[in-house]
Amino acid sequence: MARIELRGIRKQWGAVVAVEDMNLVIEDGEFVAILGPSGCGKSTTLFMLAGIYMPTAGDLLFDGARVNEVEAKDRNVGIVFQSYALYPHMNVKRNIMFPLKFKGVPREEAERLALEAARMVRVEELLERMPAQLSGGQQQRVALARALVKKPQLLLLDEPLSNLDAALRLSMRSEIKRLQRETGITTVLVTHDQIEATTMADRIVVMRTGRIEQIGTAEDLYRRPDSLFVASFIGAPPINLVEGEAADGRLRVGELTLELRGDVAGAVVLGLRPESIALDGAGIPARVVDVEPMGRETLLLLDTPMGPLRVLQGGASVPYREGDQLGLTFAPQDSILFDRETERRLADVHAAPPKA
Amino acid sequence: MAVQTLEAPAGAERWQMLAVRARRRRRLTDSLLIGFLVTVSVPIILPYFWMLTISVSAKTGGVESVVLWRASGVLVPAVVAFGLLRLFVEGRRLLWGGLMIAAIALVALLLLVGQDLHAQNYRFLWNPDIVADIRGRATAEAQFPSVWVAFRNSLALAVTQTALVLTVSTLAGYYLSRFQFPGRSGFLQGLLVLHAFPAMTLIIPIFLLMYWSGLLDTLTGVILVIATLELPFAIFIMKGFFDAVPWDIEMSAMTDGASRRQAFLQVVLPQVKVGMLAVGVFAFIKGWEEYVFVRTLLFEKQNWVMSLYIFWVSEDIMGVDYGIVAAVAVFYILPSLLLYIFCQKYLVQMTLGGIKG
Ligand SMILES: Nc1ncnc2c1ncn2[C@@H]1O[C@H](COP(=O)(O)OP(=O)(O)OP(=O)(O)O)[C@@H](O)[C@H]1O
Ligand SMILES: [Mg+2]
Repeated sequence: MARIELRGIRKQWGAVVAVEDMNLVIEDGEFVAILGPSGCGKSTTLFMLAGIYMPTAGDLLFDGARVNEVEAKDRNVGIVFQSYALYPHMNVKRNIMFPLKFKGVPREEAERLALEAARMVRVEELLERMPAQLSGGQQQRVALARALVKKPQLLLLDEPLSNLDAALRLSMRSEIKRLQRETGITTVLVTHDQIEATTMADRIVVMRTGRIEQIGTAEDLYRRPDSLFVASFIGAPPINLVEGEAADGRLRVGELTLELRGDVAGAVVLGLRPESIALDGAGIPARVVDVEPMGRETLLLLDTPMGPLRVLQGGASVPYREGDQLGLTFAPQDSILFDRETERRLADVHAAPPKA
Repeated sequence: MAVQTLEAPAGAERWQMLAVRARRRRRLTDSLLIGFLVTVSVPIILPYFWMLTISVSAKTGGVESVVLWRASGVLVPAVVAFGLLRLFVEGRRLLWGGLMIAAIALVALLLLVGQDLHAQNYRFLWNPDIVADIRGRATAEAQFPSVWVAFRNSLALAVTQTALVLTVSTLAGYYLSRFQFPGRSGFLQGLLVLHAFPAMTLIIPIFLLMYWSGLLDTLTGVILVIATLELPFAIFIMKGFFDAVPWDIEMSAMTDGASRRQAFLQVVLPQVKVGMLAVGVFAFIKGWEEYVFVRTLLFEKQNWVMSLYIFWVSEDIMGVDYGIVAAVAVFYILPSLLLYIFCQKYLVQMTLGGIKG
């Protein structure tokens, strides 16, 4: 178990900067997810933690000690690659036992530990199989067992669920979470799937083009996104963003004027989550453009004076149809305002629907 | 309802007709293919077969052409029969049928030419100076060496050069595949360019190089020369195999506690086994069959390799005894043949690329 600290970490190859000025503390036993779009430097960060890449600049600390130059083999880190990276010429048992070979664990003890790890991820029936004879989910669990068998002080997971089908992904999600709770190993999960990040991790690090955009709990990211990028990246269906002009305590959005709570003037962006918009007869007039049933919920596409809006309604069916005229409203504290120039959130500023 | 019952048989008949036509077409392409294979394989098999036949039947003075014709008269129908068999049956029955044809051919051979067979031509194996034996005189200054000396030299040459080529090409291929270093792309282009030049063009400079470095007329010198000429291509092949091994199993091994060398030996190397086998087999065969450079760089009889031995045997006793030349030839190709049979199973996997599964 270890407390991990990144101080001003940078990684670059020639002119390509993959990670820039990364500052992050991961507490002992914590489960942190790194979330971001493809190519933002998630894997690079992970590989620096593992010791596969050496940071170009900055300090990487394990329990307060600088480990920048410590080789991968001496870091006692377990890693599960996106491709699982099982050794194709070894059967499952020898795959799981491989890390123990270099720790000088005697053979019988190693076999016992391997069996234990295999039980933990429920692959004890598959010990004699070769990796090519396993399904994706089984390979993933073997990779997990191999990462766990040496009792690492840090567990790194690089998009471990991206190759699995929806049902398997769901069960592996809770499986990994359970394993992490049971073992208490400090864990870093890399993913571009926000649901994965929000359901599994204690804290989420959102990255964008090599930089940390925001660090926080799922709730922080959802309710108080620091930037437009985070706001639009978190939440499904995505947040409604409409541009407006603020002046004299009023916010002009499209053909509508909203009231402003808080002190702001100039070009802003108003963010409204589809699920924080309520529908009733009164309020801002809206026309239903499309109804999309999504199973447990229904997504409505509305045409309003503010522009097109997505609204999420509970229930598999709603009493609205295309062409219906409705009124909508929202609670001021659910509105999020951003500076259009800096794309940062304006703290303590909200918009309210016009008084009828 | 009535319409349907009327139409059903017509539809079924049509399907059947189509099936028959497809089957006929398949059979036609099969027979064309097998006919072609049989036709081209006869002229390839025949010389080897003749060589074998001559080696066990020829007597001093000349080749028994009657024996040759009779033997061919058995072999060619056997090959054709096997081709036909292949067309109509498959699996276990093909194997049994093939064995049956082989057995019939063997019996026919024994009946037709059995009384002419003998092992006399193989007496070079235990007779140290075969030329003196045949010519009935030993020239004191030019005693012919025993075939085993040549065999030992050839083996040493082939094995050492295989080991050399294999080691260097594996390490270099890995390095080229995994590491970035100044001059890498130039090096890679160089590999291809070097391979494009005919080795013969270098024969005089190489001779001088050997002469000045004191390696002329030594096996070591020849080994170095052949291995060097083999290497560019071998390195290129091995690099291709290493390219096919994913990076992450190597990184995974290193986070699992392996050093770079351990990761290479225990995780990467097993993935390129097939490539190493291919490079090794080719290097061995190249060393075994090498003629040009041994002819140029080796003079002492004690340094002769098999290709020189067979050359001098035919030079000295051609016209006197074809049987012995053929017998030496059979002995000469035997190791290559054994090696091929042994490795063939693995070599055909090569088409799958560097790594399976
Ligand atoms: N070895 C390398 N040499 C040069 N550039 C690299 C190298 N590895 C990564 N990069 C670059 O660094 C950036 C970050 O890559 P990284 O693999 O960390 O992305 P990622 O966030 O893991 O993306 P994905 O979700 O697609 O896996 C990319 O722009 C990539 O092109
Ligand atoms: Mg990645």
